[in-house]
Amino acid sequence: MANLTIRGARKAYGATVALSRGDFDLKEGEVHVLIGSNGSGKSTLCKIVSGSVRPDAGEVLIDGKPVSIDGPRAARALGIATFYQELSLAAHRTVAENIGLPELPGKGGIFVDRARLNAIAERHISRFADVAGEGFSADTRVEHLREDQRQLVEIMKALATEAPILIFDEPTSSLDRAQVERFFEILRELKAEGRAIVFISHRMDEIFSVGDRVTVIRDGETVGTSQISETNPANIIRQMVGETELAVTEGAPPATVEAKAEAVLSVAGLSGKGFAGVSFEVRRGEILGFGGLHGQGQSAVLRSIFGVSPAAAGSIRINREERAIRSPREAIRCGLAYVSGDRGRDGVVHGRPILENVTPIHFLRNRLSLVRPGSLRERAAKPLSALKTRFAGYEQPVNALSGGNQQKIVIARWLIDRPDVLLLDDPTKGIDLQAKADLFALIRSLAAEGMGIVLYSSEDAELLANADRILVFNSGSVSRELTGADRTRYNLYHAAYEAA
Amino acid sequence: MSVETAGRAEASRLAAASLIRQPLLVALILIVLLLALGEMLSPGFASPQQILRLLIVAALLGIVAAGQNLVILGGREGIDLSVGGIVSLSAIIAGNVMNGSDGGILPAILACVAAGALFGTFNGVGVTLLRIPPLVMTLGMLGVLQGLLVVIRQGVPSGRAAPALSEFVTRPFLLGLPGIIWLWVLIGLLMAFLLRRTVFGYRVYAIGSNEQAALLAGVPVRLIRVSLFTLSGAFAGLAGLCLIGYAGTSFANVGELYMLPSIIAVVLGGTPLSGGKGGYTGTMAGAVLLVILQSILTTINIEESGRQVIFGLTLLVLMLFYGRGRAMRA
Ligand SMILES: Nc1ncnc2c1ncn2[C@@H]1O[C@H](COP(=O)(O)OP(=O)(O)OP(=O)(O)O)[C@@H](O)[C@H]1O
Ligand SMILES: [Mg+2]
Repeated sequence: MANLTIRGARKAYGATVALSRGDFDLKEGEVHVLIGSNGSGKSTLCKIVSGSVRPDAGEVLIDGKPVSIDGPRAARALGIATFYQELSLAAHRTVAENIGLPELPGKGGIFVDRARLNAIAERHISRFADVAGEGFSADTRVEHLREDQRQLVEIMKALATEAPILIFDEPTSSLDRAQVERFFEILRELKAEGRAIVFISHRMDEIFSVGDRVTVIRDGETVGTSQISETNPANIIRQMVGETELAVTEGAPPATVEAKAEAVLSVAGLSGKGFAGVSFEVRRGEILGFGGLHGQGQSAVLRSIFGVSPAAAGSIRINREERAIRSPREAIRCGLAYVSGDRGRDGVVHGRPILENVTPIHFLRNRLSLVRPGSLRERAAKPLSALKTRFAGYEQPVNALSGGNQQKIVIARWLIDRPDVLLLDDPTKGIDLQAKADLFALIRSLAAEGMGIVLYSSEDAELLANADRILVFNSGSVSRELTGADRTRYNLYHAAYEAA
Repeated sequence: MSVETAGRAEASRLAAASLIRQPLLVALILIVLLLALGEMLSPGFASPQQILRLLIVAALLGIVAAGQNLVILGGREGIDLSVGGIVSLSAIIAGNVMNGSDGGILPAILACVAAGALFGTFNGVGVTLLRIPPLVMTLGMLGVLQGLLVVIRQGVPSGRAAPALSEFVTRPFLLGLPGIIWLWVLIGLLMAFLLRRTVFGYRVYAIGSNEQAALLAGVPVRLIRVSLFTLSGAFAGLAGLCLIGYAGTSFANVGELYMLPSIIAVVLGGTPLSGGKGGYTGTMAGAVLLVILQSILTTINIEESGRQVIFGLTLLVLMLFYGRGRAMRA
């Protein structure tokens, strides 16, 4: 069995420093937890060890001897196996093939020893047979599996390697209780055998249930390692947050929106795919923040309110009037606006002129059928300049602009005719700092003019600096509301990492 | 090589590249070149009468290609393989409704356009509501139409064109050009207006370029897509009517020769098969170009089957040039 040490690992992607200083030490016979907020560099650290990312600096030692891991095959040869957060499965192959094929000698050969393949796969499948759920069998193709079942296959694939060093990067994010328990049982057995295990999870209860030691990583830096038995969740969160982040962000809105301002959007008991029992109100002039770990239902709630995938249950009131919104078209007519952070997929009409990109909402809200370019240009000019959009002319194809300017064009289309409620679904993803600043300045002034704004941001700093109130999402429901002086990063993480 | 000449070579390479990216210009240049080639191969090829005849044939193709163009612009693998069948069916309907009398022209127009629109709407509904890929849906529709033609033809005379219609298609009407050319010009203007000055046109480009974004911007995606197929059917119906005016009477599967050329004309004119960009002006040039090419092939005694092979190859070559970049990204 083996011990693994990482010293001073560093990795940058262009200007983004994914990992600035990674120090990590893994002993045989332990489950070592790695914890840190979204984007703090956990996966990057794992990928360096598993050979899929080459570090810019730093060294890896196994049992004290420096090793060079220049690819996934090298990592496997050194006895390292990895569960990848984004999974590494072949969608068109069966469960058994995904689990067993990498382990068969002479892989890539023409003849596969089916009997051995199935024997390997069956041994691992049987461990999860009673918790895997319907439609899971050795010869099911992975593309037909649910998300939790795919994670189970990825787990089995890692286990099938029998490697002495196992890295699990968020293996439990889609698993249910029983599946997690079964997985933990196996981890404890492996630990007893002397394997060295890295386990990443955002769930405190899991960490305290299975971990032996914990290393906290913050903004690409590992900031400390402790024994699980000698620490507690509050301590860990304090380490994740850093000492300077225990107060309300400077410049955050004073949260003075009067309670008597009327509610422009009220949502009650909204449930659908990925969220349940969500209720909240947005008042005129208010910026309501949605926070929490990525993918806890924030986007799903916004998209369902906007009619992209209508909710299964619950009620939506706009200006106190109950509305059944079944499509974006209806949502727009009710006065809603929705900006997605994935502008390439949801926003930009590629290759088309800017004019065509800023006008669709105006057409719909005014039931126009003829285009008058002159008057359209005039109308679009105001929101575009309010956003400080830089472009050469309305006939310029939108793709010629920088990402930030493209997003401004997409946002401007919603502002030619003022909506009552602006739903922002991580609107600043991948845009530069200046564009972000322009955008938030505008959002604040729109709120000041009486618009109701819901802002989901995957960047906690943005939320803390701009929201009047923050709803923290956890596993598809709102776990806590932060107002006034409570709007600190510490409280945000505390609510986000609480066991749901 | 000095720096300066390298720069100049680079500049001319760029100029050539940007020229290639102007399909309309390329098409016009090719038209002139092909006419010159035709004249060389067979003197008289580029005589005014000949050019006029080519234009009439191009107008017929161009009307079918207008609908094809719309369907392709709408993206999501939009294509209408049933146009040929609709043209044939419409020619028969027109022939029987008119049966040689001028009084039947108006009813024939209505019947042809309505029948085309109806079958086009079926295509649209199959593609949007039943989610059948356009290629499969319209190919199936072509099969249905061909079957229908066989049934109709049994024992029923295929009818004759009204004299006024024939005159409209073949005799000079204004400025020495027959009515059908003017009709085509009018359709060209209307298409340009539709695509550039109406909300419908903007929405067609939007769904063709990014359907998800269009949906989130409140565009009624399905309705628009159905109407594109409806329009395509209607244009094919109109073309069938004009075709019988040109030929005098309808013969078996006259429309079949329109399927591939209508697609080639659209792609030649700068609308990629992936949709979302391009327009009808280019398609008109594409139609003319194609008709001249067809005529040259006839001049040098290449059989119909040979011409089909050449057209198929042309489409493939065009895809290499124009279709690839977008298709890869989509
Ligand atoms: N291939 C890449 N190109 C550019 N930036 C990257 C790339 N991979 C990661 N990053 C950036 O590096 C940072 C760290 O990413 P990493 O995936 O390691 O975070 P993480 O801690 O695993 O987060 P999560 O909890 O969301 O999984 C992030 O800001 C991310 O956007
Ligand atoms: Mg990660």
